[in-house]
Amino acid sequence: MGIKGLTKLLADNAPNAMKEQKLESYIGRKIAIDASMSIYQFLIVVGRRGIEMLTNEAGEVTSHLQGMFTRTIRLLEAGMEPIYVFDGHPPDLKKKVLVKRYSKRANATEDLHQAMETGNRDDIEKFSKRTVKVTKQHNEDCKRLLRLMGVPVIEAPSEAEAQCAALCKSGKVYAVASEDMDSLTFGAPRFLRHLMGPGSRKVPVLEFEVGKVLEELNLTMDQFIDLCILSGCDYCESIRGIGGQTALKLIRQHGSIEHILQNINKERYPIPDDWPYEEARYLFKEPLVCTNIEQFEMKRSAPDDEGLITFLVTENGFNSDRVTKAIEKLKAAKDKSSQGRLESFSKSVANTFIPIKTKATKSMLQFPKSMFNSKILSPQDSICSRPRGFSSMAPLCLHFKHSMVFSRVVCHGI
Amino acid sequence: MLELRLVQGSLLKKVLEAIKDLVNDANFDCSATGFSLQAMDSSHVALVALLLRSEGFEHYRCDRNISMGMNLGNMSKMLKCAGNDDIITIKADDGSDTVTFMFESPTQDKISDFEMKLMDIDSEHLGIPEAEYHAIVRMPSAEFARICKDLASIGDTVVISVTKEGVKFSTRGDIGTANIVLRQNTTVDKPEEATIIEMNEPVSLTFALRYMNSFTKATPLSNTVTISLSSELPVVVEYKIAEMGYIRFYLAPKIEEDEDETKPQV
Repeated sequence: MGIKGLTKLLADNAPNAMKEQKLESYIGRKIAIDASMSIYQFLIVVGRRGIEMLTNEAGEVTSHLQGMFTRTIRLLEAGMEPIYVFDGHPPDLKKKVLVKRYSKRANATEDLHQAMETGNRDDIEKFSKRTVKVTKQHNEDCKRLLRLMGVPVIEAPSEAEAQCAALCKSGKVYAVASEDMDSLTFGAPRFLRHLMGPGSRKVPVLEFEVGKVLEELNLTMDQFIDLCILSGCDYCESIRGIGGQTALKLIRQHGSIEHILQNINKERYPIPDDWPYEEARYLFKEPLVCTNIEQFEMKRSAPDDEGLITFLVTENGFNSDRVTKAIEKLKAAKDKSSQGRLESFSKSVANTFIPIKTKATKSMLQFPKSMFNSKILSPQDSICSRPRGFSSMAPLCLHFKHSMVFSRVVCHGI
Repeated sequence: MLELRLVQGSLLKKVLEAIKDLVNDANFDCSATGFSLQAMDSSHVALVALLLRSEGFEHYRCDRNISMGMNLGNMSKMLKCAGNDDIITIKADDGSDTVTFMFESPTQDKISDFEMKLMDIDSEHLGIPEAEYHAIVRMPSAEFARICKDLASIGDTVVISVTKEGVKFSTRGDIGTANIVLRQNTTVDKPEEATIIEMNEPVSLTFALRYMNSFTKATPLSNTVTISLSSELPVVVEYKIAEMGYIRFYLAPKIEEDEDETKPQV
């Protein structure tokens, strides 16, 4: 699932690329959500007790519907405009991973039987979570539910994350929400985690900007994709002995997988025989997505009350009072998303004020590498030669946080 | 080095009361021209811009453009410790990570020092374009506060429309609807009680009352309020601070949905 250890790698090496946001700060924004990922999470978490899950009278699982229904309403109430993107056919390269997941599930099923015999409750829960599989029926149920709620649904030709990233790149949506770090590798300019978390846990949304990730790691997008492939992705195996940190070091040293392969000790790091890194790279760079974005219906429509009641209450045994209340919330939320945002009226400008509180020690610790890095230094050099005055301060202020020495230069300049 | 001495200390107390509920943390920017602040609320729907010009201070020393990140809740806690007649001095040294508020009683028999930790705040500055507004309404600030409070008990949003007839505030909620119309009225004893409507074009915009009610917390700062409206621009609600500057609130309007469907096809 996703890129191994990328979150930690970014937290250690690009801390400024991620920031915590409140749910309400996305008011009025369109957000593309990787639906398959969410459904999987709902099946694991929502209403589970041991091996028992929420079911309807016929014994079919309804956890995914419960999760999708309540959490979508929560997003709508926060003034967001969610757009759900569903997976299409997986790319051939992913099949290997899928086979692996299948066998893991089979193992887990065996373990589950064992655990049930011994009656270890923790184990039962652990293994039964591992046996979860999102079926076509789950997907279809959720699509039907979302359409009844009037929330836009998009079916991707292949990977949902790739389609989400494409929507975000084209500016049709503000950000992509998923739990899968792949979204960054697919180049989604803005990526949100924990958006679909349960309301009770109050986990802040974690926002990543791919531009800042690249700036902080000092890598190009191509190098970042190589880094993700080396760290371990869905499309090919990772090299034994190379994790995120080593991969970052190697990429910084050699620049690309080709150069790394020429230079590393093959005995220490055995390259798998079948290692289709080039195809994996191609899948990340040129994934199969629908580029004719105009064709998608991205507008919300009015919810179908009767349809929802039939589907949820009659067919799936939901409590009718709760569903009626939720529908009221759904209608009230329609008003929320009409709130405009200030950014749409005026542009951000550079601040010309220097913080009195200088962060010398802290920033020196945090940015030892980037301080001496040519990319950061070059704008500094060019600014020093510019005439004094406010107009020259704009690019400069973007960098003042990096060092105290630098802000001192600024003070003399004024 | 920064040292600002404000004789009318209650003014700063009132400013904080006006903005602390809208914005949690903000950078105060200080330059030779004055003491200012620009900050958005967390959902980026409203913005507050404050200016206290240097001339309004009894003593004003600011050697270079600096900004100080403060938690407004904490700042308000400290300023609440100042008496209403106290003289307030704001002090900060270069490179320091604290700011000092000094309160002097008018008789100089009590002097208090409060030191507050500063914060690092990433703030986005928005360029606010100078705009020609379709309509500008000046009215008593208490009247505006009353209207917003009353309407909020009926509905969530207010439609403000300016026509030749006057300015109309309306809302609708589960229990019914409400309309309040104010006509131009300049024949009053005191100039601050007048309602003056300048209109170039009729305009009608919808806003969330929650924010409007938050803005009216600035009512103690000024007897009058000026509301500037243009279609497709944020509204500006301005409270002038006598001889010193202003506090301006900007609020993005609600966007009427399904515009494409309701507008006739050309």
